[in-house]
Amino acid sequence: MAEVVLQVRELVKHYPVRSGLLRRSAGAVKAVDGVSLTLERGRTLGLVGESGSGKSTLARVLVGVEKPTSGTVLVDGEDVARLSRAGRKQLRRDVQMVFQDPYTSLNPRMSVSEIVGEPFAIHGIDPPGGRRAAVGELLELVGLDPDHANRYPHQFSGGQRQRVGIARALALRPKILVCDEPVSALDVSVQGQVINLLEDLQAELGLSYLFVAHDLGVVRHIAHDVAVMYLGRIVEQGREAEVYDGAQHPYTQALLSAVPVPDPSVRLVEPSPVVPPPVVDTGSTSGVGGAAIVLEGDPPSPVDPPSGCPFHTRCWLAPTLPEAQPDPIPSYPPTDRPDAGLRLVPPVCETDVPALVHRPEVGTAGSSHVVACHFARERVSPRVEA
Amino acid sequence: MSAVASPPSDAGAGGPLLEVTDLAVEFRAPDGVVRAVDGLSYRVEAGRTLAIVGESGSGKSVSSLAVLGLLPDTARVTRGSVRLAGTDLLTLSRKAHRAQCGDQVAMVFQDALAALNPVHTVGYQLTEALRARQGLSRGDARRRAVELLDMVKVPNAQARVKEYPHQFSGGMRQRVMIASALAMDPDVLIADEPTTALDVTVQAQVLRLLAEIQAERRMGLVLITHDLGVVAGVADDVTVMYAGRAVEQAPVVPTYTTPAHPYTRALLRSIPSASGTGRLPVIPGRPPSPAAMPSGCPFHPRCDAVRDVCRTEVPPLAAPAEGRMSACHFAADIMAGVEPPPDDAAKPSDGGERRDSRSLGSDNATIPTFDGPDNRGGDHG
Repeated sequence: MAEVVLQVRELVKHYPVRSGLLRRSAGAVKAVDGVSLTLERGRTLGLVGESGSGKSTLARVLVGVEKPTSGTVLVDGEDVARLSRAGRKQLRRDVQMVFQDPYTSLNPRMSVSEIVGEPFAIHGIDPPGGRRAAVGELLELVGLDPDHANRYPHQFSGGQRQRVGIARALALRPKILVCDEPVSALDVSVQGQVINLLEDLQAELGLSYLFVAHDLGVVRHIAHDVAVMYLGRIVEQGREAEVYDGAQHPYTQALLSAVPVPDPSVRLVEPSPVVPPPVVDTGSTSGVGGAAIVLEGDPPSPVDPPSGCPFHTRCWLAPTLPEAQPDPIPSYPPTDRPDAGLRLVPPVCETDVPALVHRPEVGTAGSSHVVACHFARERVSPRVEA
Repeated sequence: MSAVASPPSDAGAGGPLLEVTDLAVEFRAPDGVVRAVDGLSYRVEAGRTLAIVGESGSGKSVSSLAVLGLLPDTARVTRGSVRLAGTDLLTLSRKAHRAQCGDQVAMVFQDALAALNPVHTVGYQLTEALRARQGLSRGDARRRAVELLDMVKVPNAQARVKEYPHQFSGGMRQRVMIASALAMDPDVLIADEPTTALDVTVQAQVLRLLAEIQAERRMGLVLITHDLGVVAGVADDVTVMYAGRAVEQAPVVPTYTTPAHPYTRALLRSIPSASGTGRLPVIPGRPPSPAAMPSGCPFHPRCDAVRDVCRTEVPPLAAPAEGRMSACHFAADIMAGVEPPPDDAAKPSDGGERRDSRSLGSDNATIPTFDGPDNRGGDHG
């Protein structure tokens, strides 16, 4: 087992929702609701999920921008919450962040050398050889010309700006880089350059990455391990190949099948016939094809997550199970489903939160692949077993 | 580029619904005129989906604004025609142009929250066009709004027409946008990155919905996107744009199996996907700024098959094979998967132009002057 640099145990982050004149607390947004994960040295953990799944909040808690409601974060075995002021400052050096939007995460009134050198100023560090030389080295490291250090962010393209953001994050020689959607604002042709840069830097500097992204293709490419989040919880986690090739959670399976593949033989909709038929269509008008699982509705609100398994309101697998029974509790939110209350779901999905455990009967025995589903199985076909 | 032939048409009954020919759009910029679209031609047939693919700044959005007569005041169409059911819209007055479009061409924008008015109910906005154009009464308009929401599968439409945009989720808002575009029963729907802001599971829902509605009404659909995965999943025909021009036009399958332009080929290779975890093949540099176009083929500084002729001569959009169009001097070679013949003369230090993708030099090769502010996004609004 490789050395663990970052460990998160039962992390919870709730934001109170206040309402009324007295700003009384009326519930909470359960952005992160009991997440545990480990990051090993020199490896990349990809964190995927839809918007609202809590992946960005988790990233912000890890870099110390947000304080967790409960739970522990161990960096190099040290509990972050128990650190002294000086210790916290050191922590900030060890864990740095690369932001999503290279247009807004750089101060337009600071030159690139000021931006990249700012961490030195904040931490009162004088790198050997002086700050100027250190900034030059950092720019070179990320593939920018050190002669451009006096330019301003607007003089750079999106991809170059993201390189500036990476150089700033690397200034203090961190051990862990938390990347929050670092390439999603970039064009495809530039995206690849930044991904390659991040991979090179990891090999060169032995960095560990927590890579938050919604693009499953990007995550598959860069990550060694993958965690899938849904409504503030991790529903499946394992090695990249285990999760992508042998997904066991119905949500992961749906997510993977919904990703558009750049292959016209895998169609989301039926191709139109070459010679248009007469206006009155004879056959199928739906145009639904392929093996894609299309989930219904939107993810529920994290203010009032469903009881039991958070995914049961959208689960495609649950209604096909022999254990499924008429739903005594109307689905959440009641108006968002035409068949609210009619949905068949096994009672256990509605009452018990499934634990994130390894299921040797489904996956490879002894692997680290864990899944939070009462009925986890590899997707062979949506068959019903007696 | 007057000899540009029209893109392949599959002989639809009754001809194309919308035909854009040799369209060029220019913007007035502080430092001169910038050509955002340069000689774009395409056809939209009933019941078919045309995907226009390109990176930011390639002119894909500007060209559709020109079709609808929605260009900002700083822009003007310098040549070309947009024929809708036989009428050239560009010869009409702005008012007549929009009037014609409003009935027959509708648009769905990327950001539904920005495109919807936050202070009016969804029902009011859905039927604004109907009330203005057809003088529908309030009661009729409400009934029609419910019908429209039902059509785009917004649950509980009866109650939700009275709600405001902020009460809708992202996917539901995009459905509202589609419903309002369908209110006038258009023949052609132009969807500009309709699912870019949505999560993948919701994206799949919206794309399927669009396809269903299209099949039902035999509507022509123009899908503007940068996502080659979406294109492969829903399009029938593809137009790949680069630096304001169409560089490749073909039906969807051959576009992916035998791309006829090095840009298309490189784009397809650079998608991070399930296959392989090695180093990602990338396109060095970045798209050229419309203010500083390279000489010759606009893609030549980033091309991996560049030859001398590419640096001096702009390749016309020609047909290397039946039904295929490509603006590359060596389209037939690229399509066949072979490298173009080498230059006979000794190559003048080709390597200098394409360095390691990590070096800034590659960007400089594309944009010689580094002083002007980078036009962010480049689509000029």
